[in-house]
Amino acid sequence: MRRYLARRLLLLVPVLAGVSVIIFMVLHLAPGDPAEIMLGSQATREDLARLRADLGLNEPLHVQYLHWIGHVARGDLGRSLWMKRAVLGEVLTRFRATLLLTATALVLSTTIGVALGVAAATRPNSLLDRLSAVASLFGASMPSFWLGIVLMVVFALRLGWLPASGMYAPHGGGDLGDLLSHLVLPAVTLAAASVTIVARLTRSAMLDTLGQDYVRTARAKGVSDRAVVLRHGLGNALVPIVTVVGVQAGYLLGGAVLTETVFAWPGVGTLMVQGILARDFPLVQGCVLVVALSFVLVNLGVDLLYAWLDPRIRYE
Amino acid sequence: MRMSMAWLVLAVVLLASGALVAAQPAGTLVVGLVAEPVNLDPAQVTDLNSNRVGRRIVETLVTFPDESTQIVPGLAESWTISKDGLKYAFKLRKGITFHDGAPFDADAVKFSIERQIVTEHPFNKLGKYPFANYFFGNVKAVEVVDPLTVEFSLKEPRASFLAVLTAGAASIVSPTAVKKLGVDYPLSPVGTGPFKFASWDRGQRVVLEKNASYWKHPVKVDRVIYRPIVEDQARLTELLTGALDLIVGTPPDFVTQLENNPKITLLKQVGAHVWYLGINNQKKPFDDKRVRQALNYAVNKDAIVRDVLKGTGTLSRGPVLPNTWGADSALKPYPYDPERARKLLAEAGYPSGFSTTLWVPESGSGMQSPVAMSTVIQSNLKAIGVNVTLQTMEWGAYLAKLRTKEQDLFALSWMAGNEDPDMVMYPLLHSSQWTPNGPNRALYKNEKYDELLHQARLTTDQKKRAELYRDAQRILVDDAPWVFVDHEIQTAAHAKRVQGFKLHPSFDLRVETISLK
Repeated sequence: MRRYLARRLLLLVPVLAGVSVIIFMVLHLAPGDPAEIMLGSQATREDLARLRADLGLNEPLHVQYLHWIGHVARGDLGRSLWMKRAVLGEVLTRFRATLLLTATALVLSTTIGVALGVAAATRPNSLLDRLSAVASLFGASMPSFWLGIVLMVVFALRLGWLPASGMYAPHGGGDLGDLLSHLVLPAVTLAAASVTIVARLTRSAMLDTLGQDYVRTARAKGVSDRAVVLRHGLGNALVPIVTVVGVQAGYLLGGAVLTETVFAWPGVGTLMVQGILARDFPLVQGCVLVVALSFVLVNLGVDLLYAWLDPRIRYE
Repeated sequence: MRMSMAWLVLAVVLLASGALVAAQPAGTLVVGLVAEPVNLDPAQVTDLNSNRVGRRIVETLVTFPDESTQIVPGLAESWTISKDGLKYAFKLRKGITFHDGAPFDADAVKFSIERQIVTEHPFNKLGKYPFANYFFGNVKAVEVVDPLTVEFSLKEPRASFLAVLTAGAASIVSPTAVKKLGVDYPLSPVGTGPFKFASWDRGQRVVLEKNASYWKHPVKVDRVIYRPIVEDQARLTELLTGALDLIVGTPPDFVTQLENNPKITLLKQVGAHVWYLGINNQKKPFDDKRVRQALNYAVNKDAIVRDVLKGTGTLSRGPVLPNTWGADSALKPYPYDPERARKLLAEAGYPSGFSTTLWVPESGSGMQSPVAMSTVIQSNLKAIGVNVTLQTMEWGAYLAKLRTKEQDLFALSWMAGNEDPDMVMYPLLHSSQWTPNGPNRALYKNEKYDELLHQARLTTDQKKRAELYRDAQRILVDDAPWVFVDHEIQTAAHAKRVQGFKLHPSFDLRVETISLK
């Protein structure tokens, strides 16, 4: 187990190196550079040349990459071109907000999704099952920015129950209640699509296990319905559910970009959008590296969970 | 599972409790911005949002009054211009101090400009100044005559130099603060302005506190909080629920809704901006003036302004901002006349029209609604037999592509210094400014026009300059190097408790004029 963990952690290095090459190339090969964007339509050739030299963009691409990755290896993600801040600190601060939003959405989507899935599986083809199928279709096909705006119009504008955007009230706020009230709408928006995925998967995994011989045996022994469903059914259906929840965690991290933009949530998503529009290379590269690292770590966590959930799985 | 249930219960309780939106404290103004400022040193940014915040903190030697773009004294109380137009001497106001207590003097002026243009200046390397060359490339030296007199020497005369000194890049910064903060200066700038920098929570808010000893007038608002809210609906909702006091950049679709809302005041003001359909003047068939004129007659600018922009634009007759000293009020915009357009095309040898391509950025600074506007243009041109293929591009990619000189038609705007004809007519249409050297992307060249603009640069008398520019504008209308479309009418909406706010034609956001009821 320990060797497995060490090997997986070592594998992080080539994965992140690969990510770093890809993101560097994608950004630098895309048309338009930071100087171009900064000078906008007023640019003259002279100004562009000066600014490019200032930004170190005249070096060959591989030199620029090696220069950057050399600093990254020493834990220095550089300074944002225009925001003037150290990228690492900036990304980590903003990542906390993203983590809070993503984790909340994940908890929401898992609890509601699993509960709906279990309920639907225990009464297949019932009204609840059919309603949940319709809701799933709706949830999966609805773009999150649209849902976000609808929720905002209803709960912030019409009813006035919740704030429309931001993480804290601009002044006077800052306590837990303030934070939670700002968290509700973006978390629900972000969770919506994945609730339906978790629910549908839970339903099919549960139907599968509930049809197994050992479940029939348990029922024959006179085990209570509740224990059959939760211990024998859900307990054994957990491996595929955890897999999909793990995938959802990654999906939510990515999906947070849109939700954060809609709700002005000060996470890494809004930062990345700002960085991409300004072609702020060090900033975007730093954001992507941190998100990629967390995605790989979530996957590792999911793999380790398998062994705990299913004693037959062993890592050597 | 139990934990998350507890969380859910908490959320429901919160939902039910309602009334979570706190009322604003008396002296605090909360402003919703379309995007977060990049940094707060106006010499190191080019975007509107950064400038709108940064320019509350620092000021310039000369400036605009609150309603117009006539140049008036700012940190300088008076100035003299030498006969040859090469020396500008400024007498500075006495007794002004920076927010950090350092005195405002001629040394500070010299420092503020030289840090941008003198490459061996110790603070040149601590910042990146995108427009240093554009604005100050013509400055030979900045000299301290005495503590309250500073003199700029120019390499060649350029009568728009005073207009240059109203730009954000010409703001006077506290040298002691720059020396102390170095590369971090743009994150907590120090100037002489009506507000002092207080704090910045990234992604959430920038807070400014009032400068109690502001030299010009007492500041009536204690604190301004700027919040970046990209999504239009979110910004609007926050205004309507009272969480924001003021928003700028109201999307056209929301204008009517706000106009009819009794809780909100909607403001409109023509801004120093022009939106145009560029035409490649060197490429066939556009090298024929009649074809370019035909395009001008064919485009229904009224419909664009009315239906796409919902009234947030006014018809353009040329690059210069209407109702400013350099504009020619006698000029008429091209009327919508497809019949005449078809006739001109036939005269030019294209009775059945031709096919061409229109490049459009998806968005971009000052671009209003580029795709929707270009779609109207496309259908207008189809009506006279010109088949247009729209090619939309991301802003950065678009700007790079325009330097290839391969464009036929392209949608673009300009929003800098349209109040002085030299700052817009020269870079956009003088033949020395052809892309990729400069921003003349229409590759327009007319020797007479070039000569008039050159003469105007050498003339310091504003009346004589205005005449030269009016002649040049008449040439432009006849030559039709672009389809002149509109000047943006900027909009802002604010709660009733906000008093005394006016939009400024330069797109500046002067919250120092506000008092709160």
